This record gives sequence, structure tokens and C-alpha cells, in this order.
Amino acid sequence: MTTMVDETTDVPVRKSVTVNVSAARAFEVFTAEFDSWWPRSHHIGSAPMTKAIIEGKVGGRCYSEQTDGADCAWGTVLVWEPPRRFVLAWQIDAAWHYEPDLAKSSEVEVRFTPESDGKTRVDLEHRHFGRHGPGGTVIRTAVDSPNGWGDLLALYAAQAEGGR
Amino acid sequence: MRGVADAIRLTAIMVSSTLPLVITYRDAQLDALGDPTRRAILAGLRRGPKAVGELARSFPVSRPAISQHLRILKQARLVLDRPAGTRRLYELDPAGFASLREYFDQFWTEALAAFKRRVEGTQPTRRR
Repeated sequence: MTTMVDETTDVPVRKSVTVNVSAARAFEVFTAEFDSWWPRSHHIGSAPMTKAIIEGKVGGRCYSEQTDGADCAWGTVLVWEPPRRFVLAWQIDAAWHYEPDLAKSSEVEVRFTPESDGKTRVDLEHRHFGRHGPGGTVIRTAVDSPNGWGDLLALYAAQAEGGR
Repeated sequence: MRGVADAIRLTAIMVSSTLPLVITYRDAQLDALGDPTRRAILAGLRRGPKAVGELARSFPVSRPAISQHLRILKQARLVLDRPAGTRRLYELDPAGFASLREYFDQFWTEALAAFKRRVEGTQPTRRR
């Protein structure tokens, strides 16, 4: 019955956003200017990140530069079709470490579709979570980490009790 | 692992507004996962359903102790059990294992919102 777990974890996450710029501009900001918008909290490195980079070519690296001078890799460009589409391998394992094996990495596809009014629809699909292994691994390692779920729940409780 | 703390903090804020009910059984999951034997049992079930006896053979603890661990894991919705002839088989509960997908659902909502703010907040001329 492990297939049940695989089916659950392998449902892709799909998100869309419409932006009031051309597809070319949207693609450029998403990739070449990735650093200008990527949330600073979204990184896996050992030190705070200073810059987030996607190298615009097949095989290009996705990494962040850190305050300690080290680079922190988190992905590889698999498909590069500006200004319409790109696909990245998401090489972060359940313990938030770099996963060198592409077969154990999930994928993020981003498509840029022009709409009639000059806007662009950006569709993002993050898929193949099952390649990271069962989600239980995620829970386990999150709990094992010094600032794992306990921290989350404490914050959750504070937030919930503080009202909205 | 500053990144983990930050990511979890961000998730906490988002989870708090969107998924209040999920937390209820997560509390039980955290307790359940606090024990190394129970984590090892879960790892053992990754390859498929097992009976208590099979699990007990893999661990240096008694069969009743394994049963007790399985009860806690079941209450936390991390494992399911079902009868199979004279035995009872335990397997991973998919409901308790959707966390990764759930995490990324929130993660990308936040990231795309940041992208939209940025792409619409600047002129289509090269900056800097």
C-alpha cells in the first residue's frame, strides 16, 4: 500500500499569477532578476543569503550566495525556452540539504503565457515530490532539526492566540 | 540551519492563517515522532505493510512495546492498521504524509506574490 503514499505526495502543486507586463519582461524578472524578488527566508544555506541566482541555460546552476562567502546550490536548469517556459530540478532533500542526484529531485516548471490585454499569466507547477521519498522523511527531519516543528507550533500558537 | 528556522517561521505565519485545523493532529504527530524507535518503525514501513511480529524482530524491544508504539503512531495518523487473516497489518497513513506538498503549496503562494509585487512595481527598463 505504499502506492497510496506515493499518490498523495505526487500530486503536483500548481500556482498561477497574472502580472501586468509582457511575457518577455515577466520571464526576465523571474529568472535574470530572480534575486530582486526571491524571499530572503527561502534558502537552505548555513548562513544568510546575499544573492539568489538562476543561470539562464540548460544545465545552469541555481544557487544562493551567502554572507559567509560560500555558495549554496539548490537546483539545475533542465529546460530553458525563454520567454515562454523553463524547468528546474529542485535539488533540496527532505533535510533541507543539497541533493546531487537528479533522480531524487522534484521539478519546478514555470510557463509564461501572454494574455490579450498585454498581461501575462505565469503558471508554476512543482511536481514529482515522491522522488524526495515519503513525506514522513520530511516530518522526521523537521522534528529532528533544532528549530523544527516545535518552533513552528510555538509560533503558530502565539499567532493563533494573539488573534487576527 | 538558519534557513530551516526562517522557512519554518514563514510557514508558521502562513499556516496560522490558512490551516488552523491541520495543527490539531500535527501536535500528536510531533509527540509521536519524538521517539527514535517510532521513527525507525515508520522507516521500516516505507517498504510496505508489516505485521507487529515482523516489526518486533527488527528492533531490540519487546513485542508489547512495539504494539504500544504502533498505537501512538496510529493515534497520530501516521500509520493505519487493517486485519489480514489472523494478523493485523500496519502501513503508513497517506493522510499524515502530505506535509511536503502542503509546505510547497504555501511556499509558492508566498514566492509568486513576491514576484508579482516586484514585476509590477518596476518599469520595464533595466534597473541598476
